[in-house]
Amino acid sequence: MHIVAVVILALPDAGKLANKPERWNNPTVKAEFEAWAERLDSMGWDTDAATLRSDVFDAAQSWASTLEFLQAPVKPYADYVGVRQKWRMFVAPHRHPVKLHIELERDGKWVPIQVARSDEYDWRGGQFDHARMRSLLFRYGWKPYRRYYRALARWIATRVAEDFPEARRARIQLYGFRTPTPQEVRDDAIPEGTFREALRFDLESLR
Amino acid sequence: MIRPLSGIAARWRGWVELISRTEPGTALALFRILTGSALLILIGSVVVSDLVGVLWIDYEHGGYRRLAGGWLVQALGGASPEVVGSLVGVTFTAGILLTAGVLARPSALVAAQGMIALTTLNTHARSAYDPLLTNSLWLLVLADSTATLSLRCRRRHGRWTSDRPVAAWPRYLAIVQLIVLYTGTGLHKISIHWTPAGEFSALYYILQQPSWQRVDMTWLASVYPLTQVGTAVTWLWELTWPVVGLALWFRTTADRSGRVRALFNRIPIRGAYVSIGLLMHISVTVMMVIGPFTWITLAYYPCLFRSDELSRVGQRIRRTLRRSVPDR
Repeated sequence: MHIVAVVILALPDAGKLANKPERWNNPTVKAEFEAWAERLDSMGWDTDAATLRSDVFDAAQSWASTLEFLQAPVKPYADYVGVRQKWRMFVAPHRHPVKLHIELERDGKWVPIQVARSDEYDWRGGQFDHARMRSLLFRYGWKPYRRYYRALARWIATRVAEDFPEARRARIQLYGFRTPTPQEVRDDAIPEGTFREALRFDLESLR
Repeated sequence: MIRPLSGIAARWRGWVELISRTEPGTALALFRILTGSALLILIGSVVVSDLVGVLWIDYEHGGYRRLAGGWLVQALGGASPEVVGSLVGVTFTAGILLTAGVLARPSALVAAQGMIALTTLNTHARSAYDPLLTNSLWLLVLADSTATLSLRCRRRHGRWTSDRPVAAWPRYLAIVQLIVLYTGTGLHKISIHWTPAGEFSALYYILQQPSWQRVDMTWLASVYPLTQVGTAVTWLWELTWPVVGLALWFRTTADRSGRVRALFNRIPIRGAYVSIGLLMHISVTVMMVIGPFTWITLAYYPCLFRSDELSRVGQRIRRTLRRSVPDR
C-alpha cells in the first residue's frame, strides 16, 4: 500500500498546467514551446509552437484526469501520514526571472535598501535570503500570483515603516530580466531588464 | 493446475522471507539521526531568520495573507501566533527526541504531523523537500531506529552501539523511496534545456536564476561545457535510478544464476551512483540556497548499505582519524 501510494504520487502531474493555461503565456514557457516545436519540426514532425501548445494542452488535461483517478484511492493515506511526494524540482530553468527591489525616498530620490542577492543593499537580509522567502518571491514573479505579491509588498512596507521611522515613502518593485546566454556573458552583452509591478507606499499611513 | 499454485506459494514464501529479515539497525539509526537533524535545521532556520510571523501566521494576526491551514491548525483554532508557536515548539522538541533516539516512533509521528501542519499553512513558501521530509518521518514511525546510536541504546546496554537485530523492511522502503524520488524528479524534467535538443544547458541557466543562486554565477559561462556535462549526467543519473534497485537485488541474490546478475555484480553500480549523488548534492549546497534539501536526501544514503558495510566504513574513518591525530 505504502509503495503503491508513493509511486503513484511521484508520477509527473500536469494538473496545475492543465488547469491554468494562462501560465503558458509566460515568456519562459512560450520559449520552451517554440524551442520544442522547432526541434520536432527539424526532425520531420510537422508542427509549430501554437499547434504543439494545443496538443500538449489536450494531452495534459487527459493525463491530469487519469492521474486524479489513480490518486483518489491513496490520497487520504498520503494526506494524513504525509507521504505526498511531487518533486517538480528544477523542471525547467526560468529564463525570465525577477529580483525584488525595495527602496526608500530620500531627498526626492529613491535609495535602495534591499536588492535580492546584493551584499550592499541587504536590509533584513536574513529574512529575504532564506530559502523559503526565495521560494515565495520566485512564485510571485509569475502573473497569477500578483495579488499575493501586492499583499507581501504591503507587509514589507509596514516593516520598512517600523525600521526607518524617518522615512516617508517606500517603493517595492520587481526587476525582470532574461538570463544571459554564455555567449552574451563572454561578449559582455548582458541583456538589460525592466522594472515592473512598482508599488509605492505612504509609510505614515502604515505606522 | 498445481504448478501455477506452487509457483505462487513459492513467491509468497519468498516475500514472507524478505519482509521477515532482520539485521543490526545501523543504517536506520543513521537515517534517524540525519533526518532528525534536517528537521531541526528546517524549523530552526525559520525561527532564527524571524520568518514564522510572515510565512505561517494569518493576516488577522500580523501575517501578509489569509492562511486557512490543514485539519490540525483548524482544530487548534487557526494560524494565530499562539497556535503556530506551539506547533513550532512541539515539532522542534520532537525533532530533538528523534535525533537523540528517545521515544523515536511517537516523536517521528508528532514531528510529521507538525511538519504537515506548518508547511501546508502557506503553500507558496513550500519547498519540494518538505513532503520528502514527512515521507522520511513516516518511515521512522514504521522503523525500529533506536537499536543503536541512540540514548535508548545507551540506557539499555550502557554503550552507544548495539548489534540488536531490527526488521530490515523499513530500510527496503527507504531504498524504494529514494529510487522513486530520483526517478520521479528525472521524469519531471521536461524542459528542452535538460535534453540534447536544448544543448544540455539546464544547469547553466538554473544557476543564473537569482532565486536559488548563492552568489552571482555568470562566471559559469567560462566553463559552459562543464555545466553541459553536469546537466547530462544529472538528468541520466536521476532517470536511471531503478538500476540501483536492480543492482541491490542482484547483490542480495548473488547465489542465484544468470548472466545479467553476474554482470551487475561485477560492476560497482551502487558506488558509482552514490558517488555522483554526493558530488551533485554537495555542489548544489555550495552553489545554491535551497534549505536542508541536501541533508534530507542524503539521510537516505546509509539505507543503501548493509550494517556490516557501514561498520567497515566506520572503522576506516576511525583509523584515519586516529592516524591524523598525533600521539601525545
